[in-house]
Amino acid sequence: MRGKNLARSLIILSPLLWFAFAPSVRLAQKPQNHAAFDKSIQPFLAQNCYACHNAQLKSGNLNLEKYQTAAAVTQDRETWERILQKLRAGEMPPKGMPRPEKAQLETVTRWIEDELMRADRLARPDPGRVTARRLNRVEYNNTVRDLLGVDFRPADDFPQDDSGYGFDNIGDVLSLSPVLMEKYLAAAEKIARTALFGPERMKPTLTRYHPPGRKIASRTTPLFDYDTTGLSLPNALHVTHRFPVDGEYAIRVFLGGVRPAGSEPLQIALWVDGKQVQVKSFDPAGIASFSIDRQDFAGMAQDFRARMTAGDHWIAVSFLRLYEGLPPAYGGPNPSRRPLPPLPEFKPRPGETPERTEERRKQFEARRAEKVPVNEARISSLEIGGPYEQSLGPSVESLKKIYVCGHLDGHHGPDCARKIVASLARRAYRRPVTPQEVDQMVNLVTTAQQQGDSFAEGIGLAIEAMLVSPHFLFRIEKNRPEDVYPISQHELASRLSYFIWSSMPDDELLRAADQGSLRKPAVLAAEVRRMLRDPRSRALAENFGGQWLELRKLESVTPDRQRFPEFEEYLRMSMRQETELFFDSIVRQDRSILDFIDANYTFLNERLAQFYNIPGVKGPEFRQVLLDGDTQRGGILTQASILTVSSYATRTSPVLRGKWILENILNAPPPPPPPGVPNLDETKVGSSASLRQQLEEHRKNATCASCHARMDPLGFGLENFDAIGAWRTHDGKFPIDASGTLPDGRSFQGPQELKAIIKADREAFVECLTEKLLTYALGRGLERYDRPAVKQIAARVAASDYRFSSLVLEIASSLPFQMRRGDQAQ
Amino acid sequence: MIITRKHLPRRTFLKGLGTAIALPMLDAMMPALASPGRTQAPVRLAFVYVPNGIVMEEWTPQGQGKAFEFTRILKPLEAFREDLFVLSGLSDHNGNALGDGPGDHARAGASFLTGVHCKKTMGADIRNGISADQIAAQQMATVTRFPSIELGCEDSRTVGNCDSGYSCAYTNSISWRSPTTPMPPETNPRLVFERLFGTFDASLDPQTRARRAAYRKSILDMAREDTRRLVGTLGPADRRKIDEYLYAIREIETRIESAERNNRSVMPAMEKPAGIPIDFADYVKLMFDLQAAAFQADLTRVTTLMIGREGSLRVYPEIGVPDPHHPLTHHRNNPEWIEKVIKINCLHTELFAYFLKKLKTTADGDGTLLDHSMIVYGSGLSDGNKHTHENLPVLLAGRGDGSLKPGRHIVYPPQTPMTNLYLTLLDRIGVRPEKIGDSTGKLAHLSDL
Repeated sequence: MRGKNLARSLIILSPLLWFAFAPSVRLAQKPQNHAAFDKSIQPFLAQNCYACHNAQLKSGNLNLEKYQTAAAVTQDRETWERILQKLRAGEMPPKGMPRPEKAQLETVTRWIEDELMRADRLARPDPGRVTARRLNRVEYNNTVRDLLGVDFRPADDFPQDDSGYGFDNIGDVLSLSPVLMEKYLAAAEKIARTALFGPERMKPTLTRYHPPGRKIASRTTPLFDYDTTGLSLPNALHVTHRFPVDGEYAIRVFLGGVRPAGSEPLQIALWVDGKQVQVKSFDPAGIASFSIDRQDFAGMAQDFRARMTAGDHWIAVSFLRLYEGLPPAYGGPNPSRRPLPPLPEFKPRPGETPERTEERRKQFEARRAEKVPVNEARISSLEIGGPYEQSLGPSVESLKKIYVCGHLDGHHGPDCARKIVASLARRAYRRPVTPQEVDQMVNLVTTAQQQGDSFAEGIGLAIEAMLVSPHFLFRIEKNRPEDVYPISQHELASRLSYFIWSSMPDDELLRAADQGSLRKPAVLAAEVRRMLRDPRSRALAENFGGQWLELRKLESVTPDRQRFPEFEEYLRMSMRQETELFFDSIVRQDRSILDFIDANYTFLNERLAQFYNIPGVKGPEFRQVLLDGDTQRGGILTQASILTVSSYATRTSPVLRGKWILENILNAPPPPPPPGVPNLDETKVGSSASLRQQLEEHRKNATCASCHARMDPLGFGLENFDAIGAWRTHDGKFPIDASGTLPDGRSFQGPQELKAIIKADREAFVECLTEKLLTYALGRGLERYDRPAVKQIAARVAASDYRFSSLVLEIASSLPFQMRRGDQAQ
Repeated sequence: MIITRKHLPRRTFLKGLGTAIALPMLDAMMPALASPGRTQAPVRLAFVYVPNGIVMEEWTPQGQGKAFEFTRILKPLEAFREDLFVLSGLSDHNGNALGDGPGDHARAGASFLTGVHCKKTMGADIRNGISADQIAAQQMATVTRFPSIELGCEDSRTVGNCDSGYSCAYTNSISWRSPTTPMPPETNPRLVFERLFGTFDASLDPQTRARRAAYRKSILDMAREDTRRLVGTLGPADRRKIDEYLYAIREIETRIESAERNNRSVMPAMEKPAGIPIDFADYVKLMFDLQAAAFQADLTRVTTLMIGREGSLRVYPEIGVPDPHHPLTHHRNNPEWIEKVIKINCLHTELFAYFLKKLKTTADGDGTLLDHSMIVYGSGLSDGNKHTHENLPVLLAGRGDGSLKPGRHIVYPPQTPMTNLYLTLLDRIGVRPEKIGDSTGKLAHLSDL
């Protein structure tokens, strides 16, 4: 009988809903377990918790006495989820209070868990509703690139996008101010003109870079084993420069420092994106100088000219083979064959006393015997001027994307305007367009022609109109009065493309949507895999990875130069590169997401390898490097980028790092400190050791302990890494103690064991990553009703060996990604 | 890292060392549009915000009225004794927790100009009030080319929530056009300049330019029509987003119309900046220059500048403070840390003095820009260590075209709402809302001696 009713009620559901989400309905009838609550749960609470969490004390703002029935539990589920978390992690009851028996604790946590899961199943499946999403800056740039083949990143001049829930693609949070609208208008014109007529002619501008130099430890003896490219030496200079257009640019470097007289000319190399593009020989010998024993480079300059493509490029200038070509007396490799300049002679001055003459002679000889430093020549600043010889005219790619009617410019047939505009609008709006929409834009083309402008000008006008239309700027999903309904095929195509590529759907996705086949499991899976293989999926590393791991902060951190003289631009770039490549390798090689926590490989160039003390990596290119046991590295937690963004400018903070792990890895973000709690007295913090004592003191306060008992040990596990991620065994004269004990009693010693412990909590990690990626994929914050979807995705990912592709595919197939709740009030 | 970028003709660049860098005619020297000439100078309103409170022991002067002493933090402003008020006792009650728990920085920033207790949320449903500058700006909409400009000296590139469960919108913006629409500050001086003075293509003849302007109007018309049709099919949340879009379109149309009515050409009083200067002091000065230039050309009469976002983590190694600002302010009376905070506070007042000097040395109508301005400088927190929202550090500079009588330290009764000050200033320019946030009435003593 019951089965029959159930079957009938299911028929009413849309077939798709039933197919995908039926298990949740089937289990709905199991009765709630009241007896267990009275028999074991309430007594447990009374015995272990009421002492603090009662109606009077309400410690931590929690009164457990008010929960007298099993039903009360599921009605206040956020609280109970926290309780469950605290009990499981062993954070409650706090240290110093009697511990409940293990079996007893097990019963209670199991019961709460079951209750919560049952409540989830009882609830009606709710896919939630995503608010119209404005394209953010990255999405705008990518979309314009894919739509029109215009790659000058116009959105970089737009105001910053606000972020919510940790990401900057959240529909509710992205606002549109008049200032932004102005920029949209200006950008639309510039984009349309660039696509049709080529980039506008730019006046050359000059940019000067004068970064604070890295300290050079002066030497008078040459080295034999060193980086002969010079890139990783402090004498080089590195910048990232945005070149506005394709063209030729002049790069002038200014030099500094000295070299012994009689040295061979220095070889100065210009590198673009890690490739050596030019070498110039620089000889200061012929230039007037005040000192005879040394070549002085101060204020001298060397010019380069290079053709550059538009966009960001890493520009580096270094000295090749720094220790070669020194005078033979220095004993360096490949010594100079130049004759030594004559030594200066001492000349007494007329009229000076003999004592004075003697004194000066001594000084003179001392100076002459002194060796001149061999490694002080440096690139001190750099200017980039241009563009000269700018490449003008539209790109072939742009023209191909626009002129789809197959006619040459100037020979367009009568239907061409319509064909061109319809094809562009379909791609710009990412959906089929109505004849009226096309009419409107064809009218613009006609109007322009009537005013005496060319056909191309008219098309440009139509493109401008598309680029400021709400249908382009926003991703609006159709609202229907129904309760729950599947989003359209084209909306699904956009969700997929902005999720995986941060850009518009390509032709293949649009075609699948046109055919109505995109929702078929086999097609969807094939599309997701194809998209992940496509180079555009690099967007996941940059945008999702950059925000999940807080990697974007790396651009703005400013480690104290006194304490961390090693930190400079090249190291910063290399750190970021390592983490991005590592993230991308998990996507591209479809690795296990557990590799994020610990992996036996990473990506290094010589600079970073040097910094990590890993031998055998030569040259500026990044490559995949296998890590052996003693490198202490592996997984994101040990990457310098992450260790730097989770530190203060002057020192490490185990609290910050512990919080970082809880928030981003273990899915247990600590609540903000309650008001009135004294802050940790960090003034006495002189070293890691004294910090540990301080924090122990702090944890004596039970309120503090409830969070810090978990946060601090996690952070201390990484204390072997300083505030820019360099390995250390001592902090000052104090040895590092990287041991810790978690509230549940598990102990560890150092980062390797810490990672092992985190890896044992893989369930928490997989849920954490699932929640973050789902938030990013949907463009909205997750709600309670998303819990079942998260659980289901996480479970299926675990069953697929934790493959990254399975995580993406499960999200793409999930209820919240495929469906939408209607907005009733219209 | 960029320190200079100048427009430069190719020839100059190639000439080699020792040649002076000549400046060619700038894009920016093309005419821009502003209000037509007028005889009586208008009154300008500026708000300058500094984050994380101030060390009040070194701020509040001894003595009241005209006989007050400049304290260590105020010292850099001593040259402007006769041009400014120090106002004590003003408070921002709605910055307090009022049951919402931690998040004082977010609330301090959000309520500084609104006097409203913002809603605690990390995303979807932000809610604050309309800020004083925007109330003024709404009345200026048709008078100047830009109703207001919002500037900042700290990139809002942040991830996650910004303060204990509060959306970053609260810490990033002090200016709010509506309770749900923050006006995010522009932080790139080049973009501010281009917005104010335009990026005209000098190669276009007037006919082509006129034709393009007409096209732009029909594009805007089309966008507005499209949107009207769309609105009917939307649910309320989507509707809110599209309303923002419509509002923006309307504002641009208004601006174009007003520019057509009054086309007086304007020469910017400065050269076009290349980007964000590496040195913080240079950066802030440049942002002040831009405001002065905008005032001078009468392109806008209302500005806000956030020297830092509330809760700022900026480090100031150039003045011996390599530690991030916010953690330092939680100094728990450690003298070394307090000293560092004072250094930051002093740097900020020094920079503010630069702005005042600039305004005071710029002729405007029958006096100087400073004579015709009303400039509020302050923070939404007083003691950053304790997160105090009472007795805020507040300066008021300028003479408001004779309607202010500065040169004094005025101490108001405790708990006097900060918004009373705004109500008073807006009244001076003929803007008279019934209330601003928690205001209870106008402030006395600003005009009498």
